Amino acid sequence: MKNKTHFAFFDEGSKKEIRRTTLKAVAIPGYQVPFASREMPIARGWGTGGLQLTLSLIGKEDCLKVIDQGADESVNAVSIKKLVQQTTGVELTDQTEDASLIQSRHRIPEVPLTEEQILVLQVPTPEPLRDVEASEYVTKRLHAEEEYSGAWLLLFEQIMKYGKTATGADHPVYVNGRYVMAPSPIPRFDNPKMHTSKALTLLGAGREKKIYAVPPYTDVTSLAFEDYPFTVETFADQACHLCGANDVFLDELVDETTGKAYYQCNDTSYCIDRLNSQEQVEVEHHHA
Amino acid sequence: MPIDQVHDLQKVYRKLLDRMARPGKLANLQAFQEKVDYEVACHDATLLIAMTLLDGEVSFHVISENKQPVEEKIAAYTLARHASMEEADFIIVLQDATEASIIEGMATCKTGNLVDPQYSATWVMESQTPLSNQPQLLLTGPGIERQTDLHTSFAPSIWQARSEAVQEYPLGIDLIFTDDIMQIACVPRTTTVSVQEVE
Ligand SMILES: [Zn+2]
Repeated sequence: MKNKTHFAFFDEGSKKEIRRTTLKAVAIPGYQVPFASREMPIARGWGTGGLQLTLSLIGKEDCLKVIDQGADESVNAVSIKKLVQQTTGVELTDQTEDASLIQSRHRIPEVPLTEEQILVLQVPTPEPLRDVEASEYVTKRLHAEEEYSGAWLLLFEQIMKYGKTATGADHPVYVNGRYVMAPSPIPRFDNPKMHTSKALTLLGAGREKKIYAVPPYTDVTSLAFEDYPFTVETFADQACHLCGANDVFLDELVDETTGKAYYQCNDTSYCIDRLNSQEQVEVEHHHA
Repeated sequence: MPIDQVHDLQKVYRKLLDRMARPGKLANLQAFQEKVDYEVACHDATLLIAMTLLDGEVSFHVISENKQPVEEKIAAYTLARHASMEEADFIIVLQDATEASIIEGMATCKTGNLVDPQYSATWVMESQTPLSNQPQLLLTGPGIERQTDLHTSFAPSIWQARSEAVQEYPLGIDLIFTDDIMQIACVPRTTTVSVQEVE
């Protein structure tokens, strides 16, 4: 018997439920809306929340980009792209500007997003108050009462300990002045990209069964104290050893023979794009 | 050719999502005009929205002077259950709905609670006049870069009732407007709406 598969994997009932949840998430920015997360044919913790959002959104005319920690070709990104393409046949791209849908883990692309794009972020831990309070029952009430002193205290303790805000990634943000939200484990460098972004940002947590959103042109401010303002990672005047970019998020690598540190763009498609256009300039220069 | 439940409704959803994220911005569903041939006494755009969002998991309530035929058809096409104003997940306001019944509905429908603000009604409201961005209502808030104008057929007293329904944010109602030329626009609970003086 031929097993008929659904377009975009899900039956229409599942899509409708995710879609209704997503609309509520957009209407209440930063609030985690519960949804009936489904089992997916990829390993848990590999972005099932983001994948479910992508499948509920995608249509035949979309062009999809999937990135994992800045790379389009990582195992995780490739397995997500494979599943989506097998069930939809949509076009795939590495180019940020060509994509209508971008699913990402741990990064917001360096190329500024447009009003025509939707960014889907994969979220392992959606609750920014989880380190303050283990109980979901309680954290939901803390959000209800706008009781965020626990989140502030955590930040304060870090400053006492390290002399600065030392969140590696997932630095909490205030959305639309109301909800404290986990922006997903993006570096602090990417937090400001969420503020009044032109694109709609959707966040999905599969295991924790939550969908939340940041609409375009919405205030997103990183939690910080007056005496200890929010700062992003800096790379001490370093530049990418390949393309020379110095205003992007860089990965620190170590030369195995010399033991010296060097830097490279974390967003690989951005780096390749810059290299290609530099080459283009050189070629044109030669022919001139 | 009937509506394609998979591909057409996906396209409607994406327009709806984008407009919910960008309050006041109009979208056109004209591409589906010829396919909406269901002879239901409501705007084609209203029926498309209902088909996109409703199913057996949710309930709806219709406000109209003659609601029974539309109620029956929507229930038949979507399998959604009919419910009272107080319980309905979706409230559908037809063109002939009276001002008083809409105002009463906005005061009695679900607006969620502080712990679960999503347990609120989504309104689908039929404008008697075409939606436009002519000055009438001035919209500001998330999703709007600076400000945007919106024009509907609904009276200032209805906007007053709406602003009372959303004043205890995050509690509130989210509105989807339709007209008879297949346009839609959204006003979620986060939008601040001020009724402009009309000269
Ligand atoms: Zn580079």
